[in-house]
Amino acid sequence: MIQTPESEKAMSSTQPSSLASVANARQERTHASTATGTGLEARGVHAWFGKNYVLKDINLEFAAGSVTALIGPSGCGKSTFIRTMNRMHEFIPGAAMAGQVLLDGKDVYAPGVDVTKIRLQIGMVFQKPNPFPSMTIGENVLSGLKLAQIKVENKDELLESCLVRAGLWNEVKDRLDAHGGSLSGGQQQRLCIARALAVSPQVLLMDEPCSALDPGSTLRIEETIRELSDSMTIIIVTHNMQQAARVSDYTAFFLSDGGPGEMIEVSRTSEIFSQPKDQRTENYVTGRFG
Amino acid sequence: MPLIRSVFQDELDSVSQTLFELSVMVSDSMAKATSALVGKNLPLAEEVITFDEKIDTVQHDLDARIIDIIARQQPVASDLRALVTALRMSADLERMGDLAHHVAKVVRLRHPASAVPEQLLQLIESMGEAAEKIAAKTGVVISTRDTSLAAQVEKDDDEMDELHRKLISKLVEPSWPHGVETAIDLTLLGRYYERYADHAVSVSRRVIFLVTGKFA
Repeated sequence: MIQTPESEKAMSSTQPSSLASVANARQERTHASTATGTGLEARGVHAWFGKNYVLKDINLEFAAGSVTALIGPSGCGKSTFIRTMNRMHEFIPGAAMAGQVLLDGKDVYAPGVDVTKIRLQIGMVFQKPNPFPSMTIGENVLSGLKLAQIKVENKDELLESCLVRAGLWNEVKDRLDAHGGSLSGGQQQRLCIARALAVSPQVLLMDEPCSALDPGSTLRIEETIRELSDSMTIIIVTHNMQQAARVSDYTAFFLSDGGPGEMIEVSRTSEIFSQPKDQRTENYVTGRFG
Repeated sequence: MPLIRSVFQDELDSVSQTLFELSVMVSDSMAKATSALVGKNLPLAEEVITFDEKIDTVQHDLDARIIDIIARQQPVASDLRALVTALRMSADLERMGDLAHHVAKVVRLRHPASAVPEQLLQLIESMGEAAEKIAAKTGVVISTRDTSLAAQVEKDDDEMDELHRKLISKLVEPSWPHGVETAIDLTLLGRYYERYADHAVSVSRRVIFLVTGKFA
Protein backbone atom coordinates (compact mmCIF):
# COMPACT_ATOMS: atom_id res chain seq x y z
CA MET A 1 0.00 0.00 0.00
CA ILE A 2 1.17 3.49 -0.79
CA GLN A 3 1.68 5.87 2.10
CA THR A 4 -1.28 8.29 1.97
CA PRO A 5 -1.69 11.63 3.67
CA GLU A 6 -4.41 9.94 5.74
CA SER A 7 -2.13 7.23 7.01
CA GLU A 8 0.56 9.81 7.79
CA LYS A 9 -2.04 11.75 9.73
CA ALA A 10 -3.15 8.65 11.59
CA MET A 11 0.44 8.04 12.59
CA SER A 12 1.16 11.54 13.73
CA SER A 13 -2.06 11.65 15.71
CA THR A 14 -0.79 8.76 17.81
CA GLN A 15 2.27 10.74 18.74
CA PRO A 16 1.05 12.51 21.88
CA SER A 17 0.03 9.22 23.47
CA SER A 18 3.39 7.76 22.48
CA LEU A 19 5.13 10.65 24.19
CA ALA A 20 3.05 10.18 27.30
CA SER A 21 3.64 6.46 27.45
CA VAL A 22 7.35 6.87 26.91
CA ALA A 23 7.34 9.28 29.83
CA ASN A 24 5.37 6.78 31.90
CA ALA A 25 7.69 3.98 30.94
CA ARG A 26 10.49 5.86 32.68
CA GLN A 27 8.76 5.23 35.97
CA GLU A 28 9.99 2.33 38.04
CA ARG A 29 8.25 -0.77 36.83
CA THR A 30 5.62 -1.92 39.27
CA HIS A 31 5.18 -5.44 37.94
CA ALA A 32 7.75 -8.21 37.81
CA SER A 33 9.48 -8.94 34.54
CA THR A 34 8.45 -12.18 32.86
CA ALA A 35 11.81 -12.50 31.14
CA THR A 36 13.21 -15.98 31.51
CA GLY A 37 16.72 -17.11 32.28
CA THR A 38 19.48 -15.27 34.04
CA GLY A 39 20.36 -12.93 31.19
CA LEU A 40 23.50 -12.46 29.21
CA GLU A 41 27.07 -11.94 30.31
CA ALA A 42 30.24 -10.96 28.49
CA ARG A 43 33.45 -12.08 30.16
CA GLY A 44 36.76 -10.73 28.98
CA VAL A 45 35.61 -10.19 25.41
CA HIS A 46 38.31 -9.06 22.97
CA ALA A 47 37.84 -8.65 19.22
CA TRP A 48 40.01 -8.23 16.16
CA PHE A 49 39.54 -7.52 12.47
CA GLY A 50 42.63 -9.17 11.03
CA LYS A 51 45.53 -7.52 12.84
CA ASN A 52 43.39 -4.63 13.94
CA TYR A 53 42.67 -4.96 17.67
CA VAL A 54 39.25 -3.31 18.10
CA LEU A 55 37.83 -4.35 21.45
CA LYS A 56 39.66 -4.89 24.71
CA ASP A 57 38.55 -6.93 27.67
CA ILE A 58 34.85 -6.12 27.91
CA ASN A 59 33.09 -7.43 31.00
CA LEU A 60 29.39 -6.70 31.16
CA GLU A 61 26.34 -8.33 32.65
CA PHE A 62 22.88 -7.89 31.22
CA ALA A 63 20.24 -8.94 33.72
CA ALA A 64 17.17 -10.71 32.37
CA GLY A 65 14.47 -8.18 31.52
CA SER A 66 16.79 -5.18 31.57
CA VAL A 67 17.45 -2.63 28.84
CA THR A 68 21.09 -1.63 28.46
CA ALA A 69 22.23 1.17 26.18
CA LEU A 70 25.72 1.14 24.73
CA ILE A 71 26.99 4.61 23.97
CA GLY A 72 30.27 6.00 22.70
CA PRO A 73 31.78 7.73 19.69
CA SER A 74 31.93 6.02 16.31
CA GLY A 75 34.62 3.40 16.04
CA CYS A 76 34.73 2.55 19.75
CA GLY A 77 33.56 -1.01 19.19
CA LYS A 78 29.93 -0.92 20.33
CA SER A 79 28.54 -2.60 17.24
CA THR A 80 31.40 -5.09 17.14
CA PHE A 81 30.67 -5.88 20.76
CA ILE A 82 26.98 -6.65 20.24
CA ARG A 83 27.86 -8.66 17.14
CA THR A 84 30.06 -10.88 19.28
CA MET A 85 27.02 -11.53 21.49
CA ASN A 86 25.15 -13.59 18.88
CA ARG A 87 28.21 -14.70 16.91
CA MET A 88 27.62 -12.40 13.98
CA HIS A 89 31.15 -11.02 14.32
CA GLU A 90 32.70 -14.22 12.96
CA PHE A 91 30.85 -13.70 9.66
CA ILE A 92 33.34 -11.06 8.67
CA PRO A 93 36.47 -12.47 6.99
CA GLY A 94 39.50 -12.14 9.26
CA ALA A 95 37.39 -11.35 12.31
CA ALA A 96 38.41 -12.99 15.56
CA MET A 97 37.37 -12.80 19.17
CA ALA A 98 38.45 -14.05 22.56
CA GLY A 99 36.53 -14.37 25.81
CA GLN A 100 33.20 -15.80 26.82
CA VAL A 101 29.61 -14.85 26.14
CA LEU A 102 27.28 -16.59 28.54
CA LEU A 103 23.59 -16.96 27.87
CA ASP A 104 21.93 -18.35 30.99
CA GLY A 105 25.40 -19.28 32.17
CA LYS A 106 26.28 -21.27 29.03
CA ASP A 107 29.04 -20.10 26.70
CA VAL A 108 27.65 -19.42 23.22
CA TYR A 109 31.17 -20.03 21.86
CA ALA A 110 31.53 -23.47 23.45
CA PRO A 111 32.46 -26.24 21.02
CA GLY A 112 29.47 -27.96 19.53
CA VAL A 113 27.09 -25.05 20.02
CA ASP A 114 24.71 -24.62 17.08
CA VAL A 115 25.18 -21.05 15.83
CA THR A 116 21.69 -20.93 14.31
CA LYS A 117 20.17 -21.78 17.67
CA ILE A 118 22.13 -19.01 19.35
CA ARG A 119 20.77 -16.50 16.85
CA LEU A 120 17.26 -17.73 17.53
CA GLN A 121 17.79 -17.03 21.20
CA ILE A 122 19.65 -13.76 20.64
CA GLY A 123 17.82 -11.79 17.97
CA MET A 124 19.03 -8.69 16.25
CA VAL A 125 17.55 -5.54 14.74
CA PHE A 126 19.78 -3.50 12.47
CA GLN A 127 20.30 0.17 11.81
CA LYS A 128 18.58 0.11 8.45
CA PRO A 129 15.20 -1.62 8.29
CA ASN A 130 15.72 -4.71 6.17
CA PRO A 131 12.39 -6.47 5.58
CA PHE A 132 12.27 -8.93 2.70
CA PRO A 133 10.78 -6.51 0.18
CA SER A 134 8.94 -9.03 -1.95
CA MET A 135 7.48 -10.96 0.97
CA THR A 136 4.18 -9.86 2.44
CA ILE A 137 4.01 -8.34 5.89
CA GLY A 138 2.76 -11.63 7.26
CA GLU A 139 5.44 -13.67 5.52
CA ASN A 140 8.12 -11.31 6.77
CA VAL A 141 7.10 -11.80 10.39
CA LEU A 142 7.00 -15.58 10.07
CA SER A 143 10.10 -15.92 7.91
CA GLY A 144 12.37 -16.79 10.84
CA LEU A 145 10.18 -19.74 11.75
CA LYS A 146 10.29 -21.01 8.21
CA LEU A 147 14.07 -20.72 7.99
CA ALA A 148 14.59 -22.44 11.32
CA GLN A 149 11.86 -24.97 10.49
CA ILE A 150 9.98 -24.28 13.67
CA LYS A 151 6.40 -25.53 13.77
CA VAL A 152 3.75 -23.44 15.49
CA GLU A 153 0.16 -24.43 16.11
CA ASN A 154 -1.53 -21.17 15.37
CA LYS A 155 0.38 -18.98 12.96
CA ASP A 156 -2.27 -16.25 12.84
CA GLU A 157 -2.20 -15.89 16.58
CA LEU A 158 1.61 -15.67 16.61
CA LEU A 159 1.57 -13.19 13.75
CA GLU A 160 -0.84 -10.96 15.60
CA SER A 161 0.97 -11.16 18.90
CA CYS A 162 4.34 -10.31 17.32
CA LEU A 163 2.89 -7.35 15.46
CA VAL A 164 1.08 -6.16 18.58
CA ARG A 165 4.27 -6.39 20.64
CA ALA A 166 6.22 -4.56 17.97
CA GLY A 167 3.58 -1.84 18.05
CA LEU A 168 2.60 -2.29 14.41
CA TRP A 169 -0.59 -4.33 14.52
CA ASN A 170 -3.10 -1.50 14.38
CA GLU A 171 -1.42 0.02 11.37
CA VAL A 172 -1.18 -3.17 9.29
CA LYS A 173 -3.90 -5.54 10.50
CA ASP A 174 -6.02 -4.88 7.41
CA ARG A 175 -3.20 -5.33 4.93
CA LEU A 176 -1.11 -8.26 6.06
CA ASP A 177 -0.83 -9.33 2.44
CA ALA A 178 0.81 -6.05 1.39
CA HIS A 179 4.52 -6.19 0.68
CA GLY A 180 6.99 -5.35 3.42
CA GLY A 181 8.57 -2.77 1.16
CA SER A 182 5.33 -0.79 0.98
CA LEU A 183 5.59 0.33 4.59
CA SER A 184 7.16 3.57 5.79
CA GLY A 185 10.67 3.43 7.27
CA GLY A 186 9.40 3.46 10.84
CA GLN A 187 6.84 0.77 10.08
CA GLN A 188 9.47 -1.35 8.33
CA GLN A 189 11.70 -1.13 11.37
CA ARG A 190 8.85 -2.27 13.59
CA LEU A 191 8.17 -5.05 11.10
CA CYS A 192 11.79 -6.15 11.56
CA ILE A 193 11.28 -6.09 15.31
CA ALA A 194 8.14 -8.23 14.89
CA ARG A 195 10.15 -10.64 12.73
CA ALA A 196 12.82 -10.86 15.41
CA LEU A 197 10.15 -11.55 18.05
CA ALA A 198 8.49 -14.39 16.14
CA VAL A 199 11.18 -16.87 17.13
CA SER A 200 10.83 -15.85 20.81
CA PRO A 201 14.37 -14.72 21.52
CA GLN A 202 15.51 -14.26 25.10
CA VAL A 203 17.74 -11.38 24.12
CA LEU A 204 17.23 -8.68 21.51
CA LEU A 205 20.24 -6.78 20.18
CA MET A 206 19.46 -3.47 18.52
CA ASP A 207 22.13 -1.65 16.56
CA GLU A 208 20.97 1.94 16.23
CA PRO A 209 17.41 0.89 15.44
CA CYS A 210 16.10 4.45 15.17
CA SER A 211 18.91 6.31 13.45
CA ALA A 212 17.09 6.44 10.12
CA LEU A 213 13.66 7.24 11.55
CA ASP A 214 11.58 10.36 12.18
CA PRO A 215 10.86 11.44 15.80
CA GLY A 216 7.34 9.92 15.85
CA SER A 217 8.52 6.47 14.72
CA THR A 218 11.47 6.76 17.06
CA LEU A 219 9.23 7.35 20.06
CA ARG A 220 6.97 4.52 18.95
CA ILE A 221 9.94 2.14 18.83
CA GLU A 222 11.21 3.37 22.18
CA GLU A 223 7.81 2.55 23.60
CA THR A 224 8.04 -0.88 22.00
CA ILE A 225 11.45 -1.39 23.64
CA ARG A 226 9.99 -0.60 27.06
CA GLU A 227 7.12 -3.03 26.49
CA LEU A 228 9.40 -5.79 25.22
CA SER A 229 11.73 -5.44 28.18
CA ASP A 230 8.99 -7.00 30.29
CA SER A 231 9.69 -10.27 28.59
CA MET A 232 13.24 -10.08 27.24
CA THR A 233 16.71 -8.66 27.73
CA ILE A 234 17.53 -5.80 25.40
CA ILE A 235 20.86 -4.29 24.42
CA ILE A 236 20.68 -1.19 22.28
CA VAL A 237 23.48 0.69 20.58
CA THR A 238 22.55 4.31 20.10
CA HIS A 239 24.19 7.58 19.19
CA ASN A 240 21.17 9.43 20.44
CA MET A 241 21.98 10.31 24.02
CA GLN A 242 18.42 11.32 24.84
CA GLN A 243 17.24 7.98 23.54
CA ALA A 244 19.67 6.13 25.79
CA ALA A 245 18.46 8.25 28.70
CA ARG A 246 14.80 7.56 27.87
CA VAL A 247 14.74 3.84 27.21
CA SER A 248 17.49 2.14 29.16
CA ASP A 249 17.88 0.90 32.72
CA TYR A 250 21.66 0.73 32.41
CA THR A 251 24.13 2.53 30.21
CA ALA A 252 27.64 1.45 29.29
CA PHE A 253 30.09 3.93 27.83
CA PHE A 254 32.68 2.68 25.32
CA LEU A 255 35.68 4.65 24.16
CA SER A 256 38.76 4.14 22.04
CA ASP A 257 41.74 6.45 22.42
CA GLY A 258 43.23 5.29 19.15
CA GLY A 259 43.74 1.74 20.38
CA PRO A 260 41.06 -0.91 20.90
CA GLY A 261 37.69 0.18 22.28
CA GLU A 262 37.25 -0.23 26.01
CA MET A 263 34.30 -0.05 28.33
CA ILE A 264 34.93 3.00 30.47
CA GLU A 265 31.94 3.00 32.75
CA VAL A 266 28.68 1.15 33.26
CA SER A 267 26.02 2.25 35.69
CA ARG A 268 22.34 2.90 36.12
CA THR A 269 21.29 5.20 33.30
CA SER A 270 20.17 7.89 35.74
CA GLU A 271 23.70 7.88 37.22
CA ILE A 272 25.42 8.12 33.86
CA PHE A 273 23.33 11.12 32.88
CA SER A 274 23.37 12.89 36.22
CA GLN A 275 26.63 12.01 37.94
CA PRO A 276 28.98 9.93 35.82
CA LYS A 277 32.04 8.83 37.73
CA ASP A 278 34.60 9.04 34.95
CA GLN A 279 35.52 12.44 33.52
CA ARG A 280 35.60 10.93 30.01
CA THR A 281 32.00 9.78 30.40
CA GLU A 282 31.04 13.24 31.61
CA ASN A 283 32.76 14.83 28.62
CA TYR A 284 30.97 12.50 26.23
CA VAL A 285 27.43 12.73 27.64
CA THR A 286 27.66 16.49 27.96
CA GLY A 287 28.81 16.61 24.34
CA ARG A 288 32.27 17.99 25.10
CA PHE A 289 33.79 15.54 22.63
CA GLY A 290 32.72 12.76 20.32
CA MET B 1 40.68 14.93 22.36
CA PRO B 2 39.64 18.53 21.70
CA LEU B 3 36.68 19.78 23.66
CA ILE B 4 33.71 21.01 21.64
CA ARG B 5 30.39 22.77 22.22
CA SER B 6 32.04 26.12 22.76
CA VAL B 7 28.79 28.08 22.19
CA PHE B 8 27.07 26.04 24.88
CA GLN B 9 30.04 26.55 27.19
CA ASP B 10 29.85 30.30 26.62
CA GLU B 11 26.16 30.22 27.50
CA LEU B 12 26.88 28.33 30.73
CA ASP B 13 29.64 30.78 31.61
CA SER B 14 27.33 33.71 31.01
CA VAL B 15 24.76 32.19 33.39
CA SER B 16 27.42 32.03 36.12
CA GLN B 17 28.45 35.57 35.30
CA THR B 18 24.88 36.85 35.67
CA LEU B 19 24.47 35.02 38.97
CA PHE B 20 27.63 36.70 40.18
CA GLU B 21 26.32 40.08 39.03
CA LEU B 22 23.04 39.44 40.87
CA SER B 23 24.98 38.67 44.04
CA VAL B 24 26.83 41.97 43.70
CA MET B 25 23.55 43.80 43.12
CA VAL B 26 21.85 42.35 46.20
CA SER B 27 24.95 42.88 48.32
CA ASP B 28 25.04 46.50 47.23
CA SER B 29 21.31 46.88 47.87
CA MET B 30 21.56 45.61 51.42
CA ALA B 31 24.60 47.81 52.15
CA LYS B 32 22.65 50.87 50.97
CA ALA B 33 19.51 49.83 52.85
CA THR B 34 21.48 49.50 56.09
CA SER B 35 23.15 52.83 55.49
CA ALA B 36 19.75 54.44 54.84
CA LEU B 37 18.36 52.83 57.99
CA VAL B 38 21.17 53.97 60.24
CA GLY B 39 21.42 57.43 58.69
CA LYS B 40 17.64 58.05 58.24
CA ASN B 41 18.48 58.68 54.59
CA LEU B 42 15.21 58.72 52.59
CA PRO B 43 16.70 59.29 49.09
CA LEU B 44 19.02 56.34 49.59
CA ALA B 45 16.09 54.18 50.75
CA GLU B 46 14.13 55.22 47.65
CA GLU B 47 17.09 54.25 45.52
CA VAL B 48 17.10 50.76 47.05
CA ILE B 49 13.34 50.44 46.50
CA THR B 50 13.63 51.40 42.84
CA PHE B 51 16.70 49.27 42.30
CA ASP B 52 14.78 46.15 43.36
CA GLU B 53 12.85 46.31 40.10
CA LYS B 54 16.13 46.12 38.24
CA ILE B 55 17.13 43.04 40.25
CA ASP B 56 13.80 41.42 39.41
CA THR B 57 14.28 42.13 35.72
CA VAL B 58 17.76 40.64 35.70
CA GLN B 59 16.42 37.55 37.47
CA HIS B 60 13.54 37.11 35.02
CA ASP B 61 15.87 37.49 32.05
CA LEU B 62 18.27 34.99 33.54
CA ASP B 63 15.51 32.42 34.16
CA ALA B 64 14.23 32.84 30.61
CA ARG B 65 17.74 32.34 29.30
CA ILE B 66 18.25 29.19 31.38
CA ILE B 67 14.97 27.69 30.16
CA ASP B 68 16.00 28.49 26.61
CA ILE B 69 19.39 26.79 27.08
CA ILE B 70 17.74 23.69 28.60
CA ALA B 71 15.27 23.52 25.71
CA ARG B 72 17.87 23.94 23.00
CA GLN B 73 20.93 22.19 24.42
CA GLN B 74 19.42 19.30 26.42
CA PRO B 75 22.09 19.47 29.10
CA VAL B 76 22.96 16.44 31.23
CA ALA B 77 25.24 15.63 34.17
CA SER B 78 27.12 18.63 35.61
CA ASP B 79 25.70 20.94 32.93
CA LEU B 80 22.16 20.05 33.97
CA ARG B 81 23.03 20.49 37.63
CA ALA B 82 24.58 23.87 36.85
CA LEU B 83 21.43 25.09 35.12
CA VAL B 84 18.90 23.68 37.57
CA THR B 85 20.87 25.07 40.51
CA ALA B 86 21.21 28.38 38.68
CA LEU B 87 17.42 28.60 38.47
CA ARG B 88 17.16 28.08 42.20
CA MET B 89 20.08 30.36 43.04
CA SER B 90 18.52 33.13 41.02
CA ALA B 91 15.36 32.77 43.12
CA ASP B 92 17.41 32.96 46.33
CA LEU B 93 19.29 36.01 45.13
CA GLU B 94 16.12 37.72 44.00
CA ARG B 95 14.67 37.08 47.45
CA MET B 96 17.77 38.63 49.04
CA GLY B 97 17.07 41.71 46.92
CA ASP B 98 13.49 41.75 48.22
CA LEU B 99 14.70 41.67 51.80
CA ALA B 100 16.95 44.69 51.21
CA HIS B 101 13.92 46.37 49.66
CA HIS B 102 11.88 45.56 52.79
CA VAL B 103 14.52 47.18 55.00
CA ALA B 104 14.41 50.30 52.81
CA LYS B 105 10.63 50.42 53.09
CA VAL B 106 10.82 50.49 56.88
CA VAL B 107 13.13 53.52 56.53
CA ARG B 108 10.58 55.24 54.28
CA LEU B 109 7.66 54.33 56.55
CA ARG B 110 9.26 55.88 59.66
CA HIS B 111 10.86 58.87 57.96
CA PRO B 112 11.78 61.47 59.24
CA ALA B 113 11.94 59.53 62.50
CA SER B 114 14.40 56.69 62.87
CA ALA B 115 13.11 53.14 62.92
CA VAL B 116 16.02 52.16 65.13
CA PRO B 117 16.56 53.61 68.62
CA GLU B 118 19.98 55.08 69.32
CA GLN B 119 21.14 52.22 71.60
CA LEU B 120 20.44 49.61 68.97
CA LEU B 121 22.05 51.37 66.02
CA GLN B 122 25.34 49.61 66.53
CA LEU B 123 23.72 46.18 66.66
CA ILE B 124 21.78 46.85 63.46
CA GLU B 125 24.94 48.12 61.81
CA SER B 126 26.68 44.89 62.79
CA MET B 127 23.85 42.90 61.22
CA GLY B 128 24.18 44.99 58.08
CA GLU B 129 27.93 44.37 57.96
CA ALA B 130 27.41 40.64 58.49
CA ALA B 131 24.87 40.62 55.65
CA GLU B 132 27.22 42.44 53.32
CA LYS B 133 30.11 40.14 54.17
CA ILE B 134 28.05 37.01 53.64
CA ALA B 135 26.68 38.25 50.30
CA ALA B 136 30.15 39.18 49.06
CA LYS B 137 31.48 35.77 50.01
CA THR B 138 28.52 34.14 48.27
CA GLY B 139 29.44 36.03 45.12
CA VAL B 140 32.95 34.61 45.29
CA VAL B 141 31.51 31.13 45.88
CA ILE B 142 29.35 31.52 42.76
CA SER B 143 32.22 32.56 40.54
CA THR B 144 34.92 30.22 41.91
CA ARG B 145 32.71 27.23 42.88
CA ASP B 146 34.99 26.88 45.89
CA THR B 147 33.24 24.38 48.15
CA SER B 148 35.36 25.09 51.23
CA LEU B 149 34.49 28.76 50.95
CA ALA B 150 30.84 27.71 50.55
CA ALA B 151 31.13 25.85 53.85
CA GLN B 152 32.50 29.04 55.46
CA VAL B 153 29.33 30.92 54.50
CA GLU B 154 27.46 28.64 56.89
CA LYS B 155 29.81 29.74 59.68
CA ASP B 156 29.25 33.38 58.82
CA ASP B 157 25.55 32.73 59.11
CA ASP B 158 26.06 31.53 62.68
CA GLU B 159 27.43 35.01 63.40
CA MET B 160 24.26 36.56 61.95
CA ASP B 161 22.09 34.22 64.02
CA GLU B 162 23.97 35.27 67.14
CA LEU B 163 23.34 38.98 66.37
CA HIS B 164 19.69 38.19 65.71
CA ARG B 165 19.35 36.45 69.08
CA LYS B 166 20.97 39.43 70.77
CA LEU B 167 18.45 41.76 69.12
CA ILE B 168 15.48 39.62 70.15
CA SER B 169 16.76 39.48 73.73
CA LYS B 170 16.78 43.30 73.83
CA LEU B 171 13.20 43.41 72.55
CA VAL B 172 11.86 41.08 75.21
CA GLU B 173 13.51 42.87 78.13
CA PRO B 174 10.78 43.94 80.60
CA SER B 175 12.31 47.39 80.67
CA TRP B 176 11.95 47.90 76.87
CA PRO B 177 11.36 51.66 76.64
CA HIS B 178 10.54 52.25 72.96
CA GLY B 179 6.97 51.07 72.60
CA VAL B 180 5.25 48.40 70.57
CA GLU B 181 5.65 49.97 67.13
CA THR B 182 9.42 50.14 67.35
CA ALA B 183 9.49 46.62 68.75
CA ILE B 184 7.54 45.38 65.71
CA ASP B 185 9.81 47.28 63.32
CA LEU B 186 12.90 45.81 64.91
CA THR B 187 11.43 42.31 64.99
CA LEU B 188 10.82 42.56 61.27
CA LEU B 189 14.17 44.18 60.52
CA GLY B 190 15.98 41.50 62.49
CA ARG B 191 14.07 38.89 60.58
CA TYR B 192 14.94 40.49 57.23
CA TYR B 193 18.68 40.42 57.96
CA GLU B 194 18.54 36.91 59.33
CA ARG B 195 16.60 35.61 56.30
CA TYR B 196 18.94 37.44 53.95
CA ALA B 197 21.87 35.49 55.35
CA ASP B 198 19.88 32.24 55.19
CA HIS B 199 19.31 32.70 51.47
CA ALA B 200 23.03 33.30 51.01
CA VAL B 201 23.67 30.00 52.82
CA SER B 202 21.17 28.35 50.52
CA VAL B 203 23.02 29.68 47.44
CA SER B 204 26.31 28.35 48.83
CA ARG B 205 24.79 24.94 49.49
CA ARG B 206 23.55 24.80 45.92
CA VAL B 207 27.08 25.45 44.72
CA ILE B 208 28.24 22.49 46.79
CA PHE B 209 25.55 20.36 45.13
CA LEU B 210 26.52 21.66 41.73
CA VAL B 211 30.15 20.67 42.23
CA THR B 212 29.77 17.40 44.11
CA GLY B 213 26.33 16.21 43.00
CA LYS B 214 25.56 15.68 46.68
CA PHE B 215 23.22 17.71 48.83
CA ALA B 216 25.14 19.55 51.51
